[in-house]
Amino acid sequence: MFAKHARNELLKLFARRRTYIGFGVFLAVEAIILALLNMDVVLAAFGTLLANNGLQISDCYTGLTLATFINFFTVTMLFGLYLALVAGDMVAKEVEDGTMRMVLSRPVARLGLLAAKAIACATYTLALGAFIGATTLLAACLYMRGVGNLMVFGPTQRVFAVFGPSEGLWRYALSVALMCVSYQLVSAIALMLSCFKIRPAAATVVTVTVLSVDLALRNIPFFQPLDHYFLGYHLGCWIRAFRSTLLWPEIVQSLILLAGATLTCWVIGATQFCTRDFKA
Amino acid sequence: MISLQGITKRFGRRIAVDNVSFEVPRGVIFGLLGHNGAGKSTLIGALLGQVFPDRGRVLVGGHDVVRHRGAALARVGAIFEASSFYDYLSGETNIRILCEYSGPVDETELRDVVRLVGLESRIGDRVGTYSHGMRQRLALAQALLPRPDLLILDEPTEGLDPEGMHETRNLLLRLNRQWGLTIFFSSHLLAEVQQLCSHVAVLRSGRLLFAGRWHGVGPAASAFSFRADRQSEAESALASAGIALDFASGGRGRLAPGQTVHTVARWLIERGFEIEHIGPADTDLEAFYLDMIRQGPSHEGR
Repeated sequence: MFAKHARNELLKLFARRRTYIGFGVFLAVEAIILALLNMDVVLAAFGTLLANNGLQISDCYTGLTLATFINFFTVTMLFGLYLALVAGDMVAKEVEDGTMRMVLSRPVARLGLLAAKAIACATYTLALGAFIGATTLLAACLYMRGVGNLMVFGPTQRVFAVFGPSEGLWRYALSVALMCVSYQLVSAIALMLSCFKIRPAAATVVTVTVLSVDLALRNIPFFQPLDHYFLGYHLGCWIRAFRSTLLWPEIVQSLILLAGATLTCWVIGATQFCTRDFKA
Repeated sequence: MISLQGITKRFGRRIAVDNVSFEVPRGVIFGLLGHNGAGKSTLIGALLGQVFPDRGRVLVGGHDVVRHRGAALARVGAIFEASSFYDYLSGETNIRILCEYSGPVDETELRDVVRLVGLESRIGDRVGTYSHGMRQRLALAQALLPRPDLLILDEPTEGLDPEGMHETRNLLLRLNRQWGLTIFFSSHLLAEVQQLCSHVAVLRSGRLLFAGRWHGVGPAASAFSFRADRQSEAESALASAGIALDFASGGRGRLAPGQTVHTVARWLIERGFEIEHIGPADTDLEAFYLDMIRQGPSHEGR
């Protein structure tokens, strides 16, 4: 029976047009970034950066490099926002629309219902993450007519590496997988807020605010020594998949912390959902 | 079928329902009456386990709704004032989703119910394209699946046109008679409640004023009407003698305490009036309701 509830939650989620806004926006952003990267001035800047590090633009300006580059920008800027939009709607929108009362007039356990919603949120996070990873790579490789080497340069994340095509593809796939797993926390925060007496938009706004404040504080120089206390540091563990030497303990530590935070959000959300009144 | 035992619910400092207790017998149509904010929706929410009472217990079919929600609501269907659906899905998908929360959907039963509510030609269309009446019919269809023992309706005919209200009323009566369904519903429309309900509960500001069979109970039960040869003279005489009072048009009045229609008839005959007709007035739920509201707390019916 629980499997049917989970399937129904997925049906409700993926039958809604709003769910696909995120997919559409990411495609559009990928296209825009690719177009911008084609501009001479950008190419020149890119070439200078590579030359300063002793690299040739012909070796490093590849499909894989562009795909990673685009992911840096789109994921940091938009992934959290669209997850917050969808997960923030999961309970609050149903309460606002009145469908939650229809559902709760049935002999369904509240905890089971919320668990089905959490599964739908997690699936959406995985689906959108995988979509971003796959379409970015596809678009960039088509644009550059091949995969090529992978060059990653991220000074704030202390990442600078060049990989061959096969190692590059493996690192890219690993980074997308880590991104899908780590961003479950963003969905969990939005779902938790959605369980409170709150409008759907408010759940989204508060989630985005949490991420923005975290980012802003992280970038204040005084707080640099405390970097590993911020969510953004751990959410960015997918970028550490591009370090020359993979530091698995560091990545696993981040994943454990994120899993703990996600679980905490689920528990708080479930407690609120199971004890609150639903009234017109 | 339903047993409310000392239900109290507060929202902040406001008491929405104050120590309300009554029983709803199996197989009756039971009306819940009260002004806006009287606590009707809170009570319905408590019945469906959507609102947790601060005090008291709600039993549906003998099961505690809070502790054994699954068992209590297993054979319950519900409709709300504004029937809400997933507008972007078809009527059939909506029914399936909602019904699967109660258990597996029986295909034959689903088709029969859709035919019963007259939605077979549009059941595959998106609910967003439905009229208000069609949405209410869809709400009724989902409430009847799987076949319930108890139907709980919160203002089910609100917003319907007269034809839709008539159809819904007839359908509810049919379901009560043919399926033996217990129907518990709240409504502002006293005429509708009068036509459907043998039993009512009256709430005022969260407090129960009356619960039970309403015919022949309360001050409205003392209403009588008569027709005599010298009508106005007879009315004045009865009023002066303190036997009957509050005369309205058509010889309709109210018996003074301790008087019966029989004593009034004898009194009039002894004074030479010729009586064409005398008897208890048809009890009107509106009069009953207003009497209850004016009279104040708790009046237990039969």
